[in-house]
Amino acid sequence: MTGPWVEKYRPQTLEDIVGQKQIITRLEKYVGEKSMPNLMFTGPAGVGKTTTALALVKSILGEYWRQNFLELNASDARGIDTVRDRIKNFCRLKPVGAPFRIIFLDEVDNMTKDAQHALRREMEMYTKTASFILSCNYSSKIIDPIQSRCAIFRFAPIKGEEIAQRLRYICESEGFEADDKGLETIVYFAEGDMRKAVNVLQAAASEGEAITEESVYEVVSKAKPQDIGNMINKALTGDFLGARTILRETMVLQGTSGEDMVSQIYSEVSKRVSEGKMEADFYIDLIEAIADCDFRIREGANPRIQLEALLTKFI
Amino acid sequence: MLWTDKYRPQTLDEVVGNNKEKEIIQNWVRNWKNGNPQQPLLLVGPPGIGKTTLALVIAKEFSESIELNASDKRSQDIIKSTIGESSSSKSLFGDEYKLIIMDEVDGIHGTNDRGGVKAIGEIIKNSKHPMILIANDFYSKRITSIKTKCTVIKMAKVRSPSIRKALKEIAQKEEIKANPKALDLIAKKSNGDMRSAINTLQALSDTDEVLEPADVENLRTKDDRSDIFNAITGVLKSKNPQHVREALRVDEDPTLVMEYIAENIPREYANKNEIKKAYENIAKADLYFGRAQRSRNYGYWKYASDFMGIGVSSSKKQTYKKFTKIQTPTIFTLMGRNRGKRNLRDGIAEKMSVKMHISHAIAISMFPYLEIMFKNDELAWEISDFLELEDTEIKRFRKKVIPKKVIKKMEAKKAQMRVEERDRRFEELQNQMMNAPEEIAIEEEPAEEPLPFEIPGLDDEKEITEEEPQQIKEKEPEEEPQKVKEKEVEEKPEKEKAKKKTDKQVSLFSF
Repeated sequence: MTGPWVEKYRPQTLEDIVGQKQIITRLEKYVGEKSMPNLMFTGPAGVGKTTTALALVKSILGEYWRQNFLELNASDARGIDTVRDRIKNFCRLKPVGAPFRIIFLDEVDNMTKDAQHALRREMEMYTKTASFILSCNYSSKIIDPIQSRCAIFRFAPIKGEEIAQRLRYICESEGFEADDKGLETIVYFAEGDMRKAVNVLQAAASEGEAITEESVYEVVSKAKPQDIGNMINKALTGDFLGARTILRETMVLQGTSGEDMVSQIYSEVSKRVSEGKMEADFYIDLIEAIADCDFRIREGANPRIQLEALLTKFI
Repeated sequence: MLWTDKYRPQTLDEVVGNNKEKEIIQNWVRNWKNGNPQQPLLLVGPPGIGKTTLALVIAKEFSESIELNASDKRSQDIIKSTIGESSSSKSLFGDEYKLIIMDEVDGIHGTNDRGGVKAIGEIIKNSKHPMILIANDFYSKRITSIKTKCTVIKMAKVRSPSIRKALKEIAQKEEIKANPKALDLIAKKSNGDMRSAINTLQALSDTDEVLEPADVENLRTKDDRSDIFNAITGVLKSKNPQHVREALRVDEDPTLVMEYIAENIPREYANKNEIKKAYENIAKADLYFGRAQRSRNYGYWKYASDFMGIGVSSSKKQTYKKFTKIQTPTIFTLMGRNRGKRNLRDGIAEKMSVKMHISHAIAISMFPYLEIMFKNDELAWEISDFLELEDTEIKRFRKKVIPKKVIKKMEAKKAQMRVEERDRRFEELQNQMMNAPEEIAIEEEPAEEPLPFEIPGLDDEKEITEEEPQQIKEKEPEEEPQKVKEKEVEEKPEKEKAKKKTDKQVSLFSF
């Protein structure tokens, strides 16, 4: 009765967290000492950064954790001023029933350098009353002054066996049948991302039958943006304008992210070359362009413009 | 004082050029004064040829005038408070007309909101007062519907002899020594733009020395900036780097200019390799815009500008001898048309982000899985219930409504689970009371706290004291976000109001 399994089966305590054993051991020391430095959690999506932060907060702040905890999404549309205002208002008050207050800021790497500098000042101002936990995908995108004020914890992708074990546990709790092949397939697609694994599992389970290799494949292919193949076909036949329209619609309407588009395009062309539908030479040229596009998007370019340029490579 | 203001013509006769047009305007004024209402005037033409001046001259003929700048956000309020009522109410005395002047109605501010055109259209329809609208670009999509409701007066560039004459007069009045050839050069360079010519003259003649042609040669006036369409044409049609650079000197957001160039590359260039090369240059320009934005090092802009300008222009083997209508980037219309869908998407993402501790981007990336899960009636209900989705939001994930039977069943199940949970908690509490009475205080204390986060609808079924502890246990991870959310709900109506207000403000002039 609790909706999405990713939330229902989010580990609530540090010891329940899957993988990241060394990090957890370290964090448990902070809990014992009832004090912690500013922390930075870096690592790819779905490896437990937020879960760890929430679990740590609960055990270190005790029963009044809710009153002493502020969770903010740094990357969402709201401006840095809103973020700063909320931090300020939160930090001005003294901790109630807990040793200090904690602010959790998610996706800090998507903040501009200016915003990060502003944040750095906030971090300095309230060192006595509050600790920060910052989370990001790439610590390289965080300015040095912030990095130097934090203990940095690098979260690795979760190991396949550990994901499989967790999935098995969920299946048991929910009373679902899952064969090993099916779970293996989920683990393969998840690429160390627990959130993705659990989402695929629940989507497959929602069809009401046992989880098998086929049912997982079905979910994975259904969950893909549908028009990618169509778009590539148009570009390959020289209809650049048509292909560009599909690209724009997919990104604007479905809100597919640039990184997702890149990986879908990659798997689409890589499928074509392994089915013998594309020349190897041409394929390698495309791969270079795709890789470049991927890199540039991560460097902060506009994903749509980069993908449009990528599409011209197909014509 | 700016000479352009100091020497602004005060009568219709003083306005240089466009004699036929002036005649039409004179008739228009006369008719109004005879109590004979006329269609609004729409003055169209390039910058600096005297459109605003003309409007101001006409304004003197009426008892009162209001001048509104379309790019000015406050204008909307002014329209509402002043014109909104007074424009439709006619005074008893025929000559007490207010002249309404609306400048820059094709102003490229904001995005593509059609509300703006509509608003102006309505004012035109209801106005009992004389109106003059001013625009630069006759072909602007923003004024297509307005054009039909107005008497359009197309004004031409001022001929350079006329400009030279005006410059000479000003030079005399200001007691400036100038080589006639220098004035001639300014007049020619101004490309029919009187304002820019006068500004140039003022900028150059601050010294006691004689103004020579060489001084003019060296000066690159700001006012020779072209508009965005000329810029794009320059990039796409020219192969001359000098020319391209100059064309790109537009007073626009450079990333907007980049979008325009990108939009029109495949419309102008026909050869595949040219499109590839040109788009690669756009991609590089974009990369440097991104780097500039991220690092706040705007020095990168110059590279971006060269990539999208010279880079794109030199990607073609030769210039095409064809006419291509420069198009507005379709991405803007696409976003405008689908604003509703995107708002719906973002609304759901916001709910998810609060309940599930995830960013909007991650929430949206989960949509495809939710679509699959929502095929299952019961799961669809469960997730909707968990996220508190509205019916319209549920529709985002499944076309069919959730069958009433399923809803009833699930609601009963939920109630049942709550009863069981309560009983279990009650038993636990009883056990604790018997085993460790001193702990009760600790157990009960948080019961004070969660009250504000109580899920509505629960309290009418059960007593609060028993409900509370269970709530904490069950919903622990979500309590805080829920609190945040409730706060937001409270603020929302106001926020929305405020938002609507700004939307409107922008929309009025940003069609």
